[in-house]
Amino acid sequence: MKHADIKEAAEALFNAQRNPFGAFSLGSETHHAVTIPDAVRRCRWISVDINAMAFGLFFVSPSLERARLVPCLDSDYPGIAVATKFIAGANGEEIVRHTRISTEPRWWADDGLPGMQEAFSDLAWTDQMAPLAPGTSGIAFPVHADRGQCGLVVFMGSEIALPQEALYEIHARCFSLFAAVARIRPGDAGKTRAISKRELECLKLTANGNTSEEIARLLKLSVHTANQYLTQSTQKLNAVNRNQAVAKALRLGLIE
Amino acid sequence: MSSPAALLQSDTLGSRLTSRGDLTSFFMQLTAEIGADSYMLVAIVHDQDRNDARIVSSNWIFDAIELIGKRLIAGLAQGALTVAPGIRPRPLVASQAPDADGLISGEEARLLDVLGHAEIYSLRLNVGRQRLFALFSAAGAGKIDQPALMRAQLKCCYALSHIPQLIAAAAMQDPLSDRERECLFWVSEGKTTDEVAVILGVSSNTVNSYITHAIQKFAASNRAMAIATAIRSGII
Repeated sequence: MKHADIKEAAEALFNAQRNPFGAFSLGSETHHAVTIPDAVRRCRWISVDINAMAFGLFFVSPSLERARLVPCLDSDYPGIAVATKFIAGANGEEIVRHTRISTEPRWWADDGLPGMQEAFSDLAWTDQMAPLAPGTSGIAFPVHADRGQCGLVVFMGSEIALPQEALYEIHARCFSLFAAVARIRPGDAGKTRAISKRELECLKLTANGNTSEEIARLLKLSVHTANQYLTQSTQKLNAVNRNQAVAKALRLGLIE
Repeated sequence: MSSPAALLQSDTLGSRLTSRGDLTSFFMQLTAEIGADSYMLVAIVHDQDRNDARIVSSNWIFDAIELIGKRLIAGLAQGALTVAPGIRPRPLVASQAPDADGLISGEEARLLDVLGHAEIYSLRLNVGRQRLFALFSAAGAGKIDQPALMRAQLKCCYALSHIPQLIAAAAMQDPLSDRERECLFWVSEGKTTDEVAVILGVSSNTVNSYITHAIQKFAASNRAMAIATAIRSGII
């Protein structure tokens, strides 16, 4: 579909439901369990509302040493846009570092587009960063989901229209979109085999500083069984030892 | 395009926020703009099995905090009513408690009502990887403007992003030195003492002493607990 067609279709879809508060009242937009095509569609709606040409949704890798963005979906779905390749490469490092400590949006503008530069610099709460993809202008919104997953939603275009009032609404919609996507793509959790309740109890007690002997006493198990639960959960979490298993379980939100 | 007129005072205050005092003026202004009377910025700290609230900033009267208690405040801040940005918030209405959510008892609800918290909204704030909670309340039910509240939630996230060190110090208390944090991170990645020593280019004894110090600072009983404490407070 051409950009204009998409815009028309989306407007037709939304006009009936529109009200002064825009997406804030569209309860259905927030709680839907989505599939990736649904998520692409939702992202396209947001993109159309700010007159962007392209978009991309990324996960920030949880490991500290790899400051990279992992692409999840973009406007060329099911393909992969060229811009996505730039953003997932070295160009994304600055924004990953930013996303870890800040929730403020960041924008960049192509030298040939003084209009975009001017429009973005009028926005409160935002700042300029190095271009994420060459020859483009755009804005990147840091987002976070329930279990500590961290991501970035990026919009690109040469005529993005984003008034101050809309900034909060668009960012809020990015948050709820990311929360929905994070539920269907729960990072490493998707690859881990189901961990039993008992195994989680043992992990939780380990995280609270209890030794195998203490866990055995607390849960009325033999020390051997307690150790076995811990070994099993370590294997299921793909961890090399208990310390890593505890860390992974906490980071995945399996234990509090 | 946006005109400067679209900016509210909270936007101006918040985007220039650098100090503790700025934080208070920003929250006071924001509270007024959304039609609320009180605000409270809370960090949740995990202490063994229970959650405690650490109040970072608030205009609740002292007696209200004392009478309601930190435990209940932690429950309100991180309870069933708490919403992430982008989700439509739902208030806790004291006159309707105890309700289906079972967050507070009838007695506690009466106390909240008397103390000027007839309705309370609880919002999750994401400041980079750190997570805080904001409670906005009003003396009368229905006074708080919901769409303005949803915008305010993003503004809070933005504003707090300006003072990461202050937030970390107030909320999370990171007692570790850079080296101790680094060692603990590698141990949490499953590395052994010897492996960490190779990674950091120091001796195993040094690594062990860094980790021992980290364990002592957290008053933890072993490595696993120190790791858990550090992850829960967002340090590693």
